[in-house]
Amino acid sequence: METINKQQKRRSRIFSAEARVAYICLIPAFLGLIFLTYLPLVGVLGISLTNWTGLKSPVFIGFDNYIKIFTADPYIKDSIISTIYYAALSVAGSMIYSLFIALLLNRKIPARGFFRAVFYVPYVLPAAAIYVGWSWLYEGNFGFFNYVLSELGLKKILFIADSSYVVPSLSLISVWLAGNLIVIFLAGLQNVPVVYHEAAEVDGAGGWKRFRHITLPCMTPIIFYNLLMSLIANLQVVTPALALTNGGPGNSSRFLTYLMYDQAFVNYKLGYACATTLIIFAILAVFTTLLFKTSGRWIYNEGGDDK
Amino acid sequence: MSVAAYGRLRSKKRRNRTMNLITFVVVVLFAILAIFPIWWIFRTSLMTNAEIYKYPPSLIPDNWLFSNYEKTLKVFKFWKYLWNTMVIIVPSCLAGTFTATLCGYAFARLRFRGKSLIWALCVGSMLLPAMVTLIPLYIGWTRGLGFSDSYWPLILPYFCGGGAFNIFLIRQFIMSIPRELDQAATIDGAGYFRILFNIIMPAIRPAMIVVALFIFIGLWNDLLQQMIYINSSDKYTIALGLTNFRGQLKSDWSLTMAATCLSFAPGVIFYLIGQRYFVEGITLTGLKN
Repeated sequence: METINKQQKRRSRIFSAEARVAYICLIPAFLGLIFLTYLPLVGVLGISLTNWTGLKSPVFIGFDNYIKIFTADPYIKDSIISTIYYAALSVAGSMIYSLFIALLLNRKIPARGFFRAVFYVPYVLPAAAIYVGWSWLYEGNFGFFNYVLSELGLKKILFIADSSYVVPSLSLISVWLAGNLIVIFLAGLQNVPVVYHEAAEVDGAGGWKRFRHITLPCMTPIIFYNLLMSLIANLQVVTPALALTNGGPGNSSRFLTYLMYDQAFVNYKLGYACATTLIIFAILAVFTTLLFKTSGRWIYNEGGDDK
Repeated sequence: MSVAAYGRLRSKKRRNRTMNLITFVVVVLFAILAIFPIWWIFRTSLMTNAEIYKYPPSLIPDNWLFSNYEKTLKVFKFWKYLWNTMVIIVPSCLAGTFTATLCGYAFARLRFRGKSLIWALCVGSMLLPAMVTLIPLYIGWTRGLGFSDSYWPLILPYFCGGGAFNIFLIRQFIMSIPRELDQAATIDGAGYFRILFNIIMPAIRPAMIVVALFIFIGLWNDLLQQMIYINSSDKYTIALGLTNFRGQLKSDWSLTMAATCLSFAPGVIFYLIGQRYFVEGITLTGLKN
């Protein structure tokens, strides 16, 4: 007993061999946490209180940037609206689409691996190339979608050149890109205990009932994970605006992160851009907190092994 | 088995078979929809401009103009861009995977003072959106360290632990490996690093491959950082090169689509090679909560 105590004491010392190895292993992560995460976080706060343009040395101006954003910024309102609009459509669309496809692929059909690859492949293509490619499908006169519309006798649409269609059109691309969500859903579906289904079937529960009362509850943790990841990713949307629309037409796709990029790296208003960043951060924090807060009510924990 | 039960079983089997058939048809339809944009882009890349604007458009090119690719390669420096992209991706993947494994090992297996604090900081950074730190990092890299128009700001972060999420993934995976394995090795006189390299690393190979894939996809899709750090056109990556090329050739759709297809190719090839690990890996992240 005493030897164990001694041993534990020895081990808990900072310079025990074990701890030394641990610290060596953690040097990279430690540097990363300090210089790539927490110091920049302090930095963004600090810079947001200045009028830095990158040329002259920064002058402390208090909360002026924030006041200006809320009172005099010509873009912020449209930006917030388009970002939330985009995120709402993309998250909802990709969640429904990927859960649906995953449910289909979870059944015993031939060539499952092949189909899984088909739905997953868009995810491994470079995002910039995806948007350039889709811009041709969306083209006003000769694009594929307009061909379909005119065949159906409908009016042509300028998908990405019309401010009322650009956000839904870009969201559709993000739904198409949701291959990773499908794979995660599939993994979750394969973990739903078969015995539950068998038991319910004996009790005469039909397909929909079993989905509603067995599959869905068992999937809630995975749904939560996908929802969270997809929300964080989509609220930070920027690539379509960078690769394709430049925030246009008008301000209709000037997403918040693009707005920040524009202010910082096109107009060199670094202080102002940092203030914008923190507003985006606040919006993100609000949405993720809401998600976490409400999750307790709908996430089903089997056996309550909640960690 | 009673006759009624047997009948029920048979009708259930039949119902299942029809359901599977319906499912299969629906899957095929959706797969066609999913793959269609890529096909449309590809068939455009093989057409003359006259054929592109023909009405009604054809699904298959009249004569497959692979010469479009030759033309594109003259203006779109694909091989150069691909090389540049690999110069960023390969060291990042290797370093990121290695450092994430080191950290994951420390968190999963070793006891040391301050563990819970460092772990909390690590997990906390996972919830921090990337764009929050973008501007201070930009200032730090370009002003502080003078890395303007350089790949270092894109590569070096992966030498710093490979990202909290990847550390988390590796840690979870190591924790699922029985401790008895290391203990046996300790009795045989192996040190901590020996255990890491000879026992843990081989056992978590799938997880390490997955981390490498995630780093690959992350860099592959990150246009924003490449745009702010790289300025000169001979340093462009595929993403930057293509974005720029589109601007140059606004209306020549067949060449633009040929360039797009070229940019698609490495990802597809990469996926086909690593397909098993891709799926396995993403499955891992979904399960390990």
